[in-house]
Amino acid sequence: MEQILEQMPVVIPALNAGFLQTLKLFVVTMLGAVPLGLVIAFGSMSRFRPLSYLTKIVVWIVRGTPLMIQLLIIFYFPGLVWGHQLWGGGESGRFLASAVAFIFNYACYLSEIYRGGIRSVPVGQEEAGLVLGMTRSQIFFKVTLLQMIKRIVPPMSNEIITLVKDTSLARIIALQEIIWAGQAFLKGSQGISGQIWPLFFTAVYYLIFSGILTVLLGRLEEKLDYFR
Amino acid sequence: MKKRMLGVLLCVSLTAAMLAGCGSKKTEPETEAPAAGEEASSESDMEYVKGKGTLVVGITDFEPMDYKDADGSWIGFDADMAKAFAESLGVEAEFVEIDWDNKVMELDGKTIDCVWNGMTLTPEVTSAMECSKAYCNNAQVVIVPADQADQYQDKESLGDLSFAVEAGSAGEAEVQALGADFTPVKAQSDALLEVKSGTSDAAVIDSLMAAAMVGEGTGYADLTYTVQLNSEEYGVGFRKGSDLAAALNDFFAASYEDGTMVQCAETYGVQAALIEQ
Repeated sequence: MEQILEQMPVVIPALNAGFLQTLKLFVVTMLGAVPLGLVIAFGSMSRFRPLSYLTKIVVWIVRGTPLMIQLLIIFYFPGLVWGHQLWGGGESGRFLASAVAFIFNYACYLSEIYRGGIRSVPVGQEEAGLVLGMTRSQIFFKVTLLQMIKRIVPPMSNEIITLVKDTSLARIIALQEIIWAGQAFLKGSQGISGQIWPLFFTAVYYLIFSGILTVLLGRLEEKLDYFR
Repeated sequence: MKKRMLGVLLCVSLTAAMLAGCGSKKTEPETEAPAAGEEASSESDMEYVKGKGTLVVGITDFEPMDYKDADGSWIGFDADMAKAFAESLGVEAEFVEIDWDNKVMELDGKTIDCVWNGMTLTPEVTSAMECSKAYCNNAQVVIVPADQADQYQDKESLGDLSFAVEAGSAGEAEVQALGADFTPVKAQSDALLEVKSGTSDAAVIDSLMAAAMVGEGTGYADLTYTVQLNSEEYGVGFRKGSDLAAALNDFFAASYEDGTMVQCAETYGVQAALIEQ
């Protein structure tokens, strides 16, 4: 215990720096995947068959392969196959590649949630809208969208909390997120080696962060309750 | 009608994107292969590195070769030599931590330019990379809890121990040769952890690493190292066919001659292991 207290001043800043990367990846992924997911959902719901089939194939590929493999492919393939790497050197290149992989992966998962949400709005409402002479886009934005948002909050919360923890997968391409930072002290870093507690301690960060998100998303759900 | 047009447009662009993805994979090696070949002859790896102005050095946090000082900048015998080598080329050294398992992929994918991290020159390494001459001696040593060290002072006494070794490491090969029972783990540090937590009786790791990480005043004060199983050498790895390996050999020779290399080794306590260049 004494030893842990002694090491705290070195370990905590390192973990904080790692967690900052985790947070950055989380925020960027959310910002990218939430709108992109909607575009993909429209694609797979399109009545133009080739487009919906194509989108469904893409979604199948992305959902059907491990995110870890997608990270490896996105980061290493350009350099290996085309001979010049795409992502730029150093940490920032690794971050960029991770962000692209995460955004695309999560957009595909979210698109299915959106699709379910849109489908859950009774057809009668759309028919009523058409009778009233509204266009399809008017019906979507004025009638369907808000009801869909309300209904997808619980499954979205699930995905969002999964994302918090999934960011740790980016360590496979050596993005120095918090798990990487914790592991560094196992092996030896900044004069501390053979310490297991920093790695386990990273769980506290995830717990607190997902706790905050759970509360926020719960509030959002309550706010949207008046739609009933 | 407008809707349908939009659908067609989206579809076409998606297909185009997909085809571009596949197409370039298929066609480029054919059309670009000669181009790439020309590039290789007209632009050497040295020119590539000089052109972009940085030598990206792939490392892991590995005392005393590459590790962070209190300010978070990279130091160590390898790190300091890498900085000096980059300077001699007129470029800047940039250190990037990599996953050791992916080192060849990192090199070939040009996300790093060299692996300079106390890398043992095994046949696997020398066949996949353009390696420099060996610059440091190393050995595989057996790690046991300090209070049992006197029981394990020769090879014969090791047979009935259960070992933890890094998967694919030189240590794994040595333990296999001993015929002892062993568990492959992901890193040398994990092997130490196995011994410390008692899940394995002993580990086999690099002697340079053992000297820095095990014993009095380290995180593994209750462990020690005993038997030396083999001897091996460290080298620096570049992309296959790179002319930087030869340049580094010249640089090593020059800095050994003028004493800077020895001086640097003394700073990090590895002078005894240094190989004359």
